[in-house]
This record gives sequence, structure tokens and C-alpha cells, in this order.
Amino acid sequence: MPSPEGARHVVAVDIGGTFTDIALLDTASGHVWRAKTPSVPSDPSQAFMTGVGLAMEKAGIGAADVGRVLHGTTIATNMILEGKGASTALVTTRGFRHVLTIGRQDIPRKANLYSWVKPERPVPAARVLEVSERIAAGGAVLEPLDEATVVAAAADLKRLGVQAVAVCLLHSFANPEHELRVTAMLRDALPGVAVTSSVDVQPVVREYERSLATVLNAGVMPGVSTYIGRLETRLTEAGVDAPLLLMQSNGGVAGAKTIRRAPALTALSGPAAGVVGARDVAAACGISDIITVDIGGTSADICLIKDGQIGLTQRGQVGEWPLPLPMVDMVTIGAGGGSIARIVDGALNVGPMSAGARPGPACYGHGGTEPTVTDAHVALGTLPDRLLGGAMTLDVEKARSAVMDKVARPLGLSLQDAARGILAIVDSHMVGAMRVVSVERGHDPRDFTLVPFGGAGPLHGCSLAELLSIPRVMIPPAPGVLCADGLLAADLRAEFSRTLPVAGAVDVAEIEAIYTDLAAQAVAWFDAEEVGADARTTTRVTMMRYKGQGGELAIAWAGSREAAEAAFSAAHEALYGFTLEAPIEVVTLRVEAVGQMPQPEKIELGKGSGATPTGRRPVHLATGVAEVPVYERAELGAGDAFAGPAIVMQLDATTFVAPGWRCSVHASGALLLTHDA
Amino acid sequence: MTPASAAALSVPPAAPASRCDPVTLEIVRGAIRAVQAEMEALIERTAISAFIREKKDFYTALFDADGVMAVGSMVPVFGDMTSPVFASFPKETMHPGDLYWYNDCYGSRGAVSHSNDQVLIAPIFHEGRRCAFVMCWAHFADIGGIRPGSISPDATDIYQEGIIIPPTKLIDRGAVNEATLTIFHRNSRFPDQSRGDLRALMGAVELGVRRVGELVGRFGADVMEDALAQLLERTRKLVRTKLAETFPVGTHSFTDAIDGDGHGSGPLKLRFSLTHDKAPGGEDRFVFDATATDDQSVGPVNFLMNPGVPGMALGLYFLGGDPGQVCNAGGPQALDEIRLREGSLLWPKFPASLGMRGLTMMRVLAGINGLVNAAGGGAPAAHSAYVITIMRGTYTNAKGEKDRFLLADGLGVGYGARPFADGIDTVYFVAQENYPVEFLEIGYPVRLLEYGVVTDSGGAGRWRGGCGVVREYEILADEALMALRIDCVTNPPWGMAGGMSGGPGRAYVNKGTPNERQLKPLSDGNVLKKGDILRIETGGGGGYGHPHDRPPALVLADVEGGFVTVEAARRIYGVAVVDHAVDEAATARLRSDRYPVKAFHRNEYVDALS
Repeated sequence: MPSPEGARHVVAVDIGGTFTDIALLDTASGHVWRAKTPSVPSDPSQAFMTGVGLAMEKAGIGAADVGRVLHGTTIATNMILEGKGASTALVTTRGFRHVLTIGRQDIPRKANLYSWVKPERPVPAARVLEVSERIAAGGAVLEPLDEATVVAAAADLKRLGVQAVAVCLLHSFANPEHELRVTAMLRDALPGVAVTSSVDVQPVVREYERSLATVLNAGVMPGVSTYIGRLETRLTEAGVDAPLLLMQSNGGVAGAKTIRRAPALTALSGPAAGVVGARDVAAACGISDIITVDIGGTSADICLIKDGQIGLTQRGQVGEWPLPLPMVDMVTIGAGGGSIARIVDGALNVGPMSAGARPGPACYGHGGTEPTVTDAHVALGTLPDRLLGGAMTLDVEKARSAVMDKVARPLGLSLQDAARGILAIVDSHMVGAMRVVSVERGHDPRDFTLVPFGGAGPLHGCSLAELLSIPRVMIPPAPGVLCADGLLAADLRAEFSRTLPVAGAVDVAEIEAIYTDLAAQAVAWFDAEEVGADARTTTRVTMMRYKGQGGELAIAWAGSREAAEAAFSAAHEALYGFTLEAPIEVVTLRVEAVGQMPQPEKIELGKGSGATPTGRRPVHLATGVAEVPVYERAELGAGDAFAGPAIVMQLDATTFVAPGWRCSVHASGALLLTHDA
Repeated sequence: MTPASAAALSVPPAAPASRCDPVTLEIVRGAIRAVQAEMEALIERTAISAFIREKKDFYTALFDADGVMAVGSMVPVFGDMTSPVFASFPKETMHPGDLYWYNDCYGSRGAVSHSNDQVLIAPIFHEGRRCAFVMCWAHFADIGGIRPGSISPDATDIYQEGIIIPPTKLIDRGAVNEATLTIFHRNSRFPDQSRGDLRALMGAVELGVRRVGELVGRFGADVMEDALAQLLERTRKLVRTKLAETFPVGTHSFTDAIDGDGHGSGPLKLRFSLTHDKAPGGEDRFVFDATATDDQSVGPVNFLMNPGVPGMALGLYFLGGDPGQVCNAGGPQALDEIRLREGSLLWPKFPASLGMRGLTMMRVLAGINGLVNAAGGGAPAAHSAYVITIMRGTYTNAKGEKDRFLLADGLGVGYGARPFADGIDTVYFVAQENYPVEFLEIGYPVRLLEYGVVTDSGGAGRWRGGCGVVREYEILADEALMALRIDCVTNPPWGMAGGMSGGPGRAYVNKGTPNERQLKPLSDGNVLKKGDILRIETGGGGGYGHPHDRPPALVLADVEGGFVTVEAARRIYGVAVVDHAVDEAATARLRSDRYPVKAFHRNEYVDALS
């Protein structure tokens, strides 16, 4: 990636609910500096800048040395999950007001019809308005747009007081004229309201799915746009003149301009970065089958990677909603270090409520009085009282009294039993999600290596592994800032596609013409993203099917009709076990563009001289109190090994090696934990 | 004839060494679900007819080594699928690489209940031992018969409903019986669809055989056998426990009705009873009896009900929303005896026509809900039966040539309200999806003018019944002959505990013009010409609880969303909505005059339906 002369540093910022992590890469030397700072939920950009400043200070560079800023954010996801996006309306073609209510008219295949409740739509029918117009299948105008109905809709939208409007008209993917006109008119009539059209989000057939994607996109647009604007302002104020790139749900990054237009692309932004990072760290150890558990302050993201391939899905969901955009296939649950433990009807519950960063766990001393998972660790001694290399001190007494007052005493338990109970419950929530990605999809978790990360991950690695009989755990070199590392490892990615007006047999001239067009779009995008000539890769993909089929196969464009059909038949046979004597047709053409980013150097640890504890501290194990050795991660070398129980300290996370586990240090810097039995 | 009670109980596993531990059991359960999902994805992606790939009228299941369903789909209409095959091909004679096929309703004792549904079943072997069976089933668009689409309200015997495939060995140790395929496809008006769809099903079964085979290879045949036995036993136990809790010792009865058979008879009553008694040893005994149901009909609304169906429906209801539970033969096994009467609507004599049995099947499910509720249980109020329209005709294609088309379009309805939630608005059935407007218009000579909810069709109540849908088509075809199936018009879905019945369905051509005509709800031979406007409105679900108890804010949301009119809000719910807001004072006045209610409601409040 070219950048101003001398501006050879890349800074990556991942904002979680509790901490903001920063990784700063010198593209010349490959060296990485890391930093961590508490998040500021009321204004995430504040922690963003604090963190960038911290990292620059560590690296000893100035604002002018930064050539690119990478960012992973959960802002869009949280808005969708918590229903806290902007108040949104949908504008649709007259006669089709209930497009969201009806959906696909089904009770889901895996649901029980007796108990299933249709989820409330993200936009209720009361906020769906109709305009008079009609485009026919194929794109012809059947009924011109009646602009008076748009004016009337604008008046209703004002009465409803919405902050965002999604416009999705029938067959707009074939002819966007009316949809774009309505969008323009509403933008004029409703200053300050975010108006988005479906063709800008996902111009594909099927009105329900397209309307839904547009509505979700519109709902997060004001928030994401304000947020990006604030980041850009802060960067400018700090003198950083470098492009801002955001992580998308598909594991690649894209420029701020792209994201402002289609913020729904970032629905899984933060978590996707962690998965990319975990995959890379595992690969450095020669491990390709992993289950990742990213435990942050408020939530945990779980993903399964087989053969080193991150699974992408176009049928992903965010909360209850299908979102037909490419995204990493993962499961998210509301359980993390900040999850609050409380007694409900005499039973101990943990999460999904979280103390977040403010007030945070009781031990943070910011006024929190509710016991959290982190407090349970502090009470047991598995989490030492100093974090972030001493920059943050934990109040052990506050942790103990929170657990004692709110859990132990009401239940008549000892402090330690109460703390262990909190941990057992949060572990079992996570095991449930781990089962979903493994067992429920037919994978035996015992065949995988568990990769726990996020600030709280390495404290839970051994216990989670034991619950699923997973014999091996790998702790990444910098587990607490792995998402930031993942950002550094991600490439720029974009897709340019066009659905043919009429699906038909392979017509090489027509196809080449469209590919030329799409390739030009890709070049324009590369230019806009300032990707150097040698870092550009494009792939031409043809989506083909037998005439009449509902699904297409993605085939690398083979250049001729014979070759394309042969490649399709071979792929169909390989995937489904048969071919048909039926016409083969082309549906969609796609150009996939990848801009390669410089990769950080691979760490090669020096050989260790035998692990030596830097101290010991009392930990309440199930078998009683023990003086457990404490190791400094920075002092460990390749080949060093020791047995649990043990605690490994480092800046960004703390690892607990449980009794019965053995830890050895891999040359890549990762810790490999294996169970004795 | 009285069919015997459901299949024998599963045999407990022999040796403790072969036990499947709880962790492995969960892995096996999850892996089977994954196999089902993979098979379903294959069908969805490779099938040719819209009925399968877009509407998704297909299901899968896994059976144990003896053919007992261990993991089904979440559909309460499956019976004993494998016995019909075993009757002709004893399971001991089966080999790896075999594939069996049928659609024979009478020959399978209602395992399939109309001939369009093709069933493929294959055994799975591991080291020479038969370990399991896997099944795919899908509705084929056309298999011959009286009219395109094969099912027609006009049919009066099953020979008019397309080709009948008795249990047949389609593949013998890898060798395909091509002649049967040729004969079958030659009988379809749309052989390309038939060929592609059957190939997709065969591909899915092959995949299932391979995947389950890998699973057995991983855990061993003994562990697999025990895993499937445990899944069955778990469901059976749970259902029996819930049956005992729900039905006090004694006999509980309920009567529901379909409007008629489209050939002059009706209403036709479905009369169910469930008797719970104690055996001398104190053991529970549950007997389901439908023998008092009305006689079979001339029209094709007969539902040849496999004896497994009542237990499957009760089982699925009792499993509830717990994702850890599995819908399987444990449901049917929980009932000790099923009594049906030959010659009745639910066990018609061969060769009575069956094609439109969907409406009766849906009413059977509502009647079983009623049985639970009559005993004091909390099953949903009644739903409408999903609606189907079949258009066949000719149109002029882009090249100016005449082409023919077949469009079978399923329309959603409202489902019944529950003691904890509103009924589901505008759905067809489990897993079955609509044809999106854009999809429909790209592929068929129709244009949609409206697709929305029918206001006031959801039965009023503390919990509102689901609303039906309106779908208005402009006919672009030169001409089409249309079949229509709407039930619950004269016998709308009942509400309960103060909730009212759901609205009825109806259909018009050219409504509001001098050429307006209303169509018979169950009819065929309706002629549509280019430019005609066909408007179909479907029925809603019954409500639950007194409408005056519905929070005004919910009534307001219903009014603003087009589910309830201002007038109905005032008259039935006692809520005054003025200028997009609730008039609190007027509402209090309206609700001070609370009308009396009874246990059930169908057009009027009654103590019991009969």
C-alpha cells in the first residue's frame, strides 16, 4: 500500500465493549507495537484517539508517520442487536405495505409451530409507506412514478418523526430509476434524515430480503455515519492525514466512503477481525482446525475454522434477521468478563447484562457494585490485581465484597464457592455456543484446538476445553489485542457484480463486455483505495446453474462456452454427485478484487532457558488454596515448558493454566496447552 | 378395519459397553441435524420445479436400523414411512446401494397422503450391518392426472390424481432401474421438472447415506444404535409424561369441521376423543379415537391419516420450543392405541380421491389442539387451512410463441392465538415459503397488484389470532383454468377463552366491476382471461382471551399497522383510536360495558363446539 513518503506505519484499532485495542505496524521493519485502553461507550472515538496516541508514543513516531488507519467496530452490530438503531421507515410500492410482515410466509424449518412467535419486524407496518409507481419484471416502466405520492409520503414521514428511511421498490434491481428518484426527493424533503435505497445495499431479486437489508442498513446509517465523521475529525485534529479503512463482516477491509453508504457491511466488523487474527496465529503453529472463542467484556464470539478456511455465509443472520451480505459464519452470545451475576428467584444468573467499561466490574473501582465474571476471577486469585502492565490496579476488596454481598451470602455459600459458581455458569453459556458451531454442525470439538482470546479468553481456555473434552488449547502471542492484529492481517476486499437481465446460455461476447465493465469498476476502487499496482488481484467469477435451478455455483471464468460449461458440470458433479442433461445458464457475473496489505513480520522467539516463575500468588483452586507460580510472558522463550496450575502475565491478558494442563512455548510466541490425560 | 396401534416400542440396548454417553449423544444429534441441513440445501439448490426450490415443499428424516423414525422434521404430519417398503422388500434382503421409492397412498397406509409426494428411502450399512435409513420427500409439480398439477378439486378417485408408484426398488446395489424412471417421467406434463427434481432427491439421499455412514464409522454401529434408541426414548417419555399431566383420567372429546368436499357435501365433522385410563398395574394408557368422524366424501378432501399422525402432532406440541428435543416416532409410540374407522373421512376406502387433503389435515391439527384445550391444556386456538390456487394455461412468450404454464401458488393464513402470544400472521406452514412477487413476475404470466394482510381477519382476543393475506393477480396469460382451495369459510377457526373466531377466506374475479364474480372456495374449472383481476383473501386464526383485556397500546399498533380497523377496535376491543392515538377516556367508557363470553367462539360464543 502506498502512503506518503515516510508515512510507513499502519495503526489498527479494535473497539470492544470494555477495552479498545491498538496494534501499530512498521511496514518497513514488520515490527508491531501494541496498546490497550478502556473503551468509552458514550464516545468510542475518544478511546480510539487515546489508544492511537499511546501506540504512537510507544513506537516513537509522530502523526505524519501514519500512512493508514484500520478499524474494527461493533457499533452497527450493537445497534441492530439491541434495536437501538435510528427510528426507521420503509417506502415501498403501493399494494405491498406488508412486505416485512409477511416475510417469506413461513414458519422456519427448525421452529416448532406451536411455540414459535414471529419476531417483531425491525420496522413495524405502521412505519411502512407506499408510493404509486410500478416497474415490471425486466425493468420496463408500467406506471410512472406519481411524485405527488412521494410528497405525501414525506409529510407522513415528518409526522412519524423518523431518523432514517429505506427505499425499496419492486424490481428496482432491474431498473433503479424510480427508486433513485424517490430517494432523491425524500433527501430533499427531509434534511437531516438518512435516506438509503436498496440498490445501494444489495441490488438482487426477492423483495423481502432486499427490503430487510435496506431497512437494517438505514437504521444503522445515522449512527455509523456520525461515528465515522467523528473519527475522521479526531484524526485530522491529531494531524493524522491517512485513509481510514473499516473491517467488513466478510473479513476484508474497505474505505470509509464505501462503509458510509452501506454500513450494514460492518455488521460483524470487530469479531471478523479477531477470527482473521486467530486463523493467522494458528497457521504459524501449523494448526488449521480451530474453534475460536473471543471473550470480551460484554459478549463472546465463537467461530469454527476447518482446514484453515474461514467459513463465509451469504445467509447469515444478525439477531433474528437474515442479512444477505457476505459475512463470517459465527455465533455471538451475551457473556463476557463484565457479565453481571445476580440472584433471580433464588437461582444464580450470569449475564446477559454487563457492567461494560463504565462503571465496569466492582474491582475497577469506578463505582460498580454488581459482581461480574471478572470480580469472580479476582476473588479467586486467578486474575492478579494489576492489569495493563500495572497501568490499571484492581480493587480486590471491592470484588470480594460484591461477590460476597450479592451472591455468596444470599445463597449461603462461601465466597470461593460463589465465585466458582459464577464462572461455571458463564462457562456453560459459552459451551452452548461452542456446541452450536461444532457439534450442531457435525464437527467433533475434540478434533479441534481451542483458541481463546480477547481480554478474558485465556482465563477460561482450560475450563472450556475440559467441558468439551478438547485436549489442546492455543493462546495467541497477544490474545488481548488479537482483533487489532487481525486488522493488520486483513486484505482490502470488494466485490463487483451484475445480474444478467435475463439468465441465459454462455455468450462470450456479452460476458467479456460486462467483465470489462466490472473490471473498470474494480480499477476505480483500487485507485480510490490507493492500492499499488503489484498489490492488486482480481478474480472473475461466473455464477452458473442448470436452467430452472434455484442455486448457482461460483465458477472461475473459463474464457469460452465449452470450458465454462465443462467447469460447471465438473463442479456440480463434485459437489452434488450428479449432472443433468439440461441447458446451462449464466446468472450473475462477479469480479472479486483484493488489495494485498503488507504483513507484519512473523515472530521467531529466541530459545528459552527454562521457565522461571517471577513469583507466586495464592489461588483458590477447587482443592483448596495453593501458592501458584506466576510467569511473565515476555520472559518465556521457545521450548520453555511448565505444568499447571500456573498464571502467565502479559500486558493485554492473563492466562490461567489449570491443574492437569501442561504449557509449552511455541517458537511463534503462542502458548500450547495440553491436557495430561 | 382398525389399524393397529403405532409401531412397537424400541428395544432397549443390550450391552452397557455399547452405550452412547451423553456427550456423544449430543454430537450425534447435532450431526444428524447437520446432515439434514446439508440434504435440504442440496435439494433447494439443485431441484428444478419452483414448488420444491422456491416454495420448499420437501422434508428429510433419519430412521433407526428397524426403520423407526429417530430424527424427523418439525412437521406434525409424518407417519410410519418405512413399513410400506418393508412389506414388499423385507429389510433383511436389503443391500448397500439400494434406493426405494413410492408415492402410493393406500399402499403405504397414508404414509404419503396424496400422490404428488414422492418418497425416497435408502438403507445405510456399516461393515455389513444395517444401521439406519435416510429419507427425502418432496411434492412434485405434475405427475399426470386429470389436470396439470395433478391435484384438482374435481377429482373423484385417486386414478385421476396421477401415476401411482407402489414401493419400488429404484436402485439395486447401485444399478438404477431406468425403465421406472422413463415411465414416471413420461407421465408428467413437465418431464424436465420431474427429471431434475427426482435427480435432486436422489442426490440428497446419496449424500445422506454417505454422511450418516461417516457418522457410524466414527462412533461405531453399537453406539449409533444406542444413540438413536435414546433419542426415541427421550421423546416418548416426555410425551407420555405430558399426556398424563394434560389429560386427567377419563375421556376427553372435541369436534371440528371442514366446510365440505366441493361436490355438495358438508360440513364434514372430525370427532376426536382421547381416553386416559390406568392399567391394573397403575400404568397409564392413552387411546386416541377418531371413529365417530363423518363418512368419506366424493371430493378429494379425504385424508388417509397414517396412525402415526395424532401422536406426531401431540408430540410436537408437547416438545414445545426446547431446541434440545427431537421430533420423532417417540410421539406416536407414546399413544397406546389409535382407532380409525374405515370408510370415514380419515380412513377412506380405496380408491377415494385424496388430492386436496391438505385442508382436512390442517383441520385435524386444529382438532387436536381443541382436544388438548377441552382437557384444560394451553394449545393454540384454531388456524385457517393454508390456501392454494393452481393456474394452468397458455401465454404468449417473448418470441411471440404460445407457451403453456403451471403455477401452483400457496397463500399464507392466520394461525391461532396462544395463552402466551398472538397467533402467527400470514404464514403457510412449517418450512414452506411463498413465491416472492419479483420471482413470480419474472417466471409466470401474472402481475401482482396487491400482497398484504387482510384487515380484521385475525380473531379478536387478549391475544389476537394471526391475520390472513390478500393476493391480487392480474392475469397476463392468454387464458388459464384455475383451481382454488379455501376452507374455514362457513366454519371459521374457533377462538377460545373469550377470543373470537378468525375471519373467513374468499376469492373474486374483477371485484368492484360489472363483471365481478365470487368463486366457490373449493372449485376447479374457473376460467380466467387476459386482463382479469383475481383477488384472493385468506382466513385468520382464532383469538384467545377476552378482547377487552388486550392492552390498548397493542390495539393501537394493530390499527396503525393495518391489522385492525378503527371500527373493530372500538366495537370489539373497546378501544377508541383517534388521530393515531388512544383516547383514554373514551376507551375506559367503552370497556366499562364488558360483554359476556363463553369457552369457545365460532361466529358466536358457545360452551362447546359440536
